[in-house]
Amino acid sequence: MGVVSALGEGPEANRKALAEGVCGIGTLGLFPSRYAGVLPCGEIKTTTDQLKEKLKATESGVTRTMLLALDAFDQAVTDAGLTPSRLSESGTALISATTVGGMCLTDELYKDARNATGGSAYLRSYDCGSVALYLQARYALGGVINTINTACSSSANAIAFGARLIKQGLATRVIAGGVDSLAKFTINGFNALHILSPEKCAPFDKDRQGLNLGEGAAFIVLESESTFTGKGKVYGELRGHGNAGDAFHPSSLSPEGEGPFLAMQKALYSADLTPDQIGFINAHGTATENNDAVESHAMQRLFPSVPPFASTKSNTGHTLGAAGAIEAVYSLLNLVYQEVYPALQFREPIEAAGLVPVLSYTPLTLNHVMSNSFGFGGNCTSLIFSKA
Amino acid sequence: MLYIHQSTCISSQHTFGSIDIEALQPSLDGRLHITEPTPPAIPAGVLRRMGKAVKMSVTCALPLLERPATPEGIIIGTGNGGMEDSIQFLNQIIQYEEGMLTPGNFVQSTANAMAAQISMLTANRCYNTTHVHRGLAFENALLDAVMQASENSASLILLGAVDEISTYNDNIERLAGGYKEGPVTNHELYTLDTPGSIAGEGAVMFLVSGNPAGANTAVPAIRTLHTTDEAEIKIQLIHFLDISLPAGETVDWFLSGENGDNRLLKYYTAAESVLSANTGIARFKHMSGEYPTAVAMACWLACHIIETGEVPIHMRKRPTGQATAGPAKNVLIYNNYKGKQHSFILVSRPGR
Repeated sequence: MGVVSALGEGPEANRKALAEGVCGIGTLGLFPSRYAGVLPCGEIKTTTDQLKEKLKATESGVTRTMLLALDAFDQAVTDAGLTPSRLSESGTALISATTVGGMCLTDELYKDARNATGGSAYLRSYDCGSVALYLQARYALGGVINTINTACSSSANAIAFGARLIKQGLATRVIAGGVDSLAKFTINGFNALHILSPEKCAPFDKDRQGLNLGEGAAFIVLESESTFTGKGKVYGELRGHGNAGDAFHPSSLSPEGEGPFLAMQKALYSADLTPDQIGFINAHGTATENNDAVESHAMQRLFPSVPPFASTKSNTGHTLGAAGAIEAVYSLLNLVYQEVYPALQFREPIEAAGLVPVLSYTPLTLNHVMSNSFGFGGNCTSLIFSKA
Repeated sequence: MLYIHQSTCISSQHTFGSIDIEALQPSLDGRLHITEPTPPAIPAGVLRRMGKAVKMSVTCALPLLERPATPEGIIIGTGNGGMEDSIQFLNQIIQYEEGMLTPGNFVQSTANAMAAQISMLTANRCYNTTHVHRGLAFENALLDAVMQASENSASLILLGAVDEISTYNDNIERLAGGYKEGPVTNHELYTLDTPGSIAGEGAVMFLVSGNPAGANTAVPAIRTLHTTDEAEIKIQLIHFLDISLPAGETVDWFLSGENGDNRLLKYYTAAESVLSANTGIARFKHMSGEYPTAVAMACWLACHIIETGEVPIHMRKRPTGQATAGPAKNVLIYNNYKGKQHSFILVSRPGR
């Protein structure tokens, strides 16, 4: 697996930061914005030029989103010991996800969408597909290549799609995950919806003021038990997945939490598990008024007793299309190291729910971890990872 | 096997409502714009907030969802879905210098707005997803449907593709050399030996499942690949037909994604070289125009050909004569986007 977030590069650096309760959310410094000093963000402190140099990605038209994806992708395939010849096999699939794509290049896009002549180097880099196409070309990937955009649940769906490809015999191994970079586009969008917090976000806190945007990427390598050669590590099993539409509103969840409830329920069904077997939930927990109230309610509807839970968005910010994949890596770390990490910035529980997230680093015997991702448009997805 | 039960298509041609594809509808200003049909009865407030792509999707999808059966999957492919709203919102950011912005465009700018809107209008809480892999967005949606039909053959799935001509793709595609320079009409698309194609847009929806009952057409096989080598297309197409076509059967019609771009002709020539002399060759980009999910219209046309035996003269590359086409069982579609993303789709009449 591979991950890059405001907490650092690589699973180990991320684990260390999570265990120590580090918050990667701070002042936006990457690009000028009137909200730079006002709205905190989970920014990766490496500049785009530094990333290009470090990753030897000097091709024309490369965006920050492609670079963050490349970083996490390269970590994952190196970690799994996938050689260039393995990568180019027709059984090696890449399922990526992003919501921003190359729209982080606000000014270039603005000009390219209206000027009659003199296009920039990024004409083929704005759409969501650009990221997976870049990785495909760079590694000569030979299998199914796809990009999913279901807003904030995108990369959770990419992982589920990858698992289904393997089950159906349409891929031998799948590199699945997602990416998003901070952009003026999303900062202004979420700000216009009045759901960005002026403080570091406080998931599941009674007085939470909204989310902080973050950026990052993560990819995991999935392989079926029957074809696994025994080379490379095994971090865990993707045991189940569930996808449901909330069918309520374009930008908020239904009060009953039908979508979240159904996604979690379907994931349990597909994993052949009962609610009491889930040892920990990596909640979607964006810290918006709507999400945390609804998610709490949905968890209480499904779980007779809500298991230990927390949202790592208090560490990384909300990384949108990357969130499902980053949190999949964190769920696998929970399982590998049999530990859970503290929720940050939490003070008092939401009155109606009374739920308190995990507040300190805790070693915990874990067999099954659930990871939730809910997106705009009501796209809700829940994944269940199990101990290898 | 994925069976197709019903389909709808909104395009620049007469493909929606009363269908008549014999006479070719001309392009306008070098673009193949859709003829906007009357949208279905939905609340005016909801309709007003919909962009063209969402409106097209909903108009196309709702007639398929009138049956009592509820789909257990809403799967949409789109290359540029939401991009028009993205640009509108971007314009706000720049023009108002990140001031007080209205969130409407931002909310509609995510590519999943179409699938989400369909789920909201039909109160459908089933599997819902959106594939956005540019020129293979529809093919990946199709693959998703194939998998779902295999996982649960009884489940009914709404499968669709949508893309619109927007400020985004029109100007950016033009700057990138995607369209022919100067005034061009769809009548002359294949005769001008120049780079670029013609802009298009459309929405296509299919009601599919793993259950053959009542289905006139099916998709026995789909294959996607990423390459820039035309020799690879030839090798992979031979292999695709070897494993997909039942013994003793031939391809009746080859639906070619040829789009008038002389830089891409070599891929289509390579694919044609694999076919037997008896296979008819037809083209569709003069009807759809070029856009990332144009291949969905080819699937709709393949169903039409199998169901009616009709292959309009303007579509035929060979044979070109007036002879009636006769019944067709197997239609092979080959399409590529920008010479990098390729797909083979076999559409067949199920059974013997």
